[in-house]
Amino acid sequence: MRIWLLAYPRGHRRDEILETLREAGRTRPTAREAANLVRHGLRARLGRPASRTVAVWATLTALICGLFTAGFAVRAAWETARPLPTAAEATSMLAEIVPGRHFEGLADAPSLFVVYGGPLRWSATRDLLLGDGGEYQPAGVGGGTPGDADVAATVQRLRDLGWTVYPPIEHDLYGCAGPPCDPATIPTSTTLVAARGDTVFTLELTGTYLSASFQRAAPWPVWPAGIAGFLLGAAGSFLLFGWASRRRPRASATVLLAIALFLWWTPTVFAAPLALNHHLSEPHPSWHPLWEWLGQPTFSLLFLLGTAAALLSLAVSALPAGARVRYRAGA
Amino acid sequence: MATMREPTFLILTALAGEPRHGYGIVREVETLSGMRLLTGTLYTALDRLTAEGLVEHDRDEEVDGRTRRYYRLTAAGLTALTAETARLRGLATAAEARLRAARPRTA
Repeated sequence: MRIWLLAYPRGHRRDEILETLREAGRTRPTAREAANLVRHGLRARLGRPASRTVAVWATLTALICGLFTAGFAVRAAWETARPLPTAAEATSMLAEIVPGRHFEGLADAPSLFVVYGGPLRWSATRDLLLGDGGEYQPAGVGGGTPGDADVAATVQRLRDLGWTVYPPIEHDLYGCAGPPCDPATIPTSTTLVAARGDTVFTLELTGTYLSASFQRAAPWPVWPAGIAGFLLGAAGSFLLFGWASRRRPRASATVLLAIALFLWWTPTVFAAPLALNHHLSEPHPSWHPLWEWLGQPTFSLLFLLGTAAALLSLAVSALPAGARVRYRAGA
Repeated sequence: MATMREPTFLILTALAGEPRHGYGIVREVETLSGMRLLTGTLYTALDRLTAEGLVEHDRDEEVDGRTRRYYRLTAAGLTALTAETARLRGLATAAEARLRAARPRTA
């Protein structure tokens, strides 16, 4: 029975609750009682029994910390992906898919993820932080060639070669709302997306030019790593929040946490619906990495500032009571 | 003051007669209302009521080598319970009046 009381902070009425359960004749709580103990034990970890909002703050903190930890875990798990096809392998596959065409510009990928075509380096920090974080993307091996190809024949050839082909996507090559251009006759491009094993193939046909690219699909360890990362991040941040909350920190710590949550949640709230809309509007054999759903690293500056605010909030909470009084007095 | 939830009202009512320990409150609430108060809910409510100054620690007693912690109502708790009882009585009276008026029509 004691195991259910571990949800309560150490020393917090654990013996008293145990005695109450024993007096009620309970040697083992029912599922409902156990769930009740866990729920109220976690609530007790937050301290502030009279607060009606502390659970909301704790939930927001645990959720976003879980998501960011999952993002890092997913990135780490991507390292288990096979290297991208070499330029020679890509050329050989293209010769089968679009015979008779010579694609220019194919080169070995420098790494699994690239910034402006190159591997991530410290020198890219400024770009990442100041607005160009969206340039950090999965690398591709691809090239282009002038000319056209028959969409239906290409789809059939891909299927014959064992690729799973997704419904072609048609785009207008440029925007046209009405006269003097005619929306019915403006040129369009067709994008074919196909997957085979852990390889994703994209072919764009504009009528006069073909662009092809091979990318790696997310490896399977991304899923367990993401889930484990979320659970660890959420649980860890909840416990830290509870520890800080029970210390009854000064208002400055609360304000710093509120700033951190604002800086962490804002990009996520904007990016997640956009990412969802993007995924629903186009076929995705492999979903975009989790961090892109969180608006990262496009808004990495906000993430870093939020992290600094959260760490400062923890530091203020960790100050001994006497030091907190001096801190409050500005000494 | 916000409306008092039923478990809170029942815990305060259970303590109105005399100080009680955890299981004593559970039994008294069950006698009063038939409601089986879950242990986690009870202690969260006691934490909150203590923080709000409506309930306070009364004494500890040793029974069969085990410590029982007793709680009692504070003056503020008594005031809050009195106010909530009056509010509920008012609601019950209004409901009864409407039911009396409705009965002849539905009969």
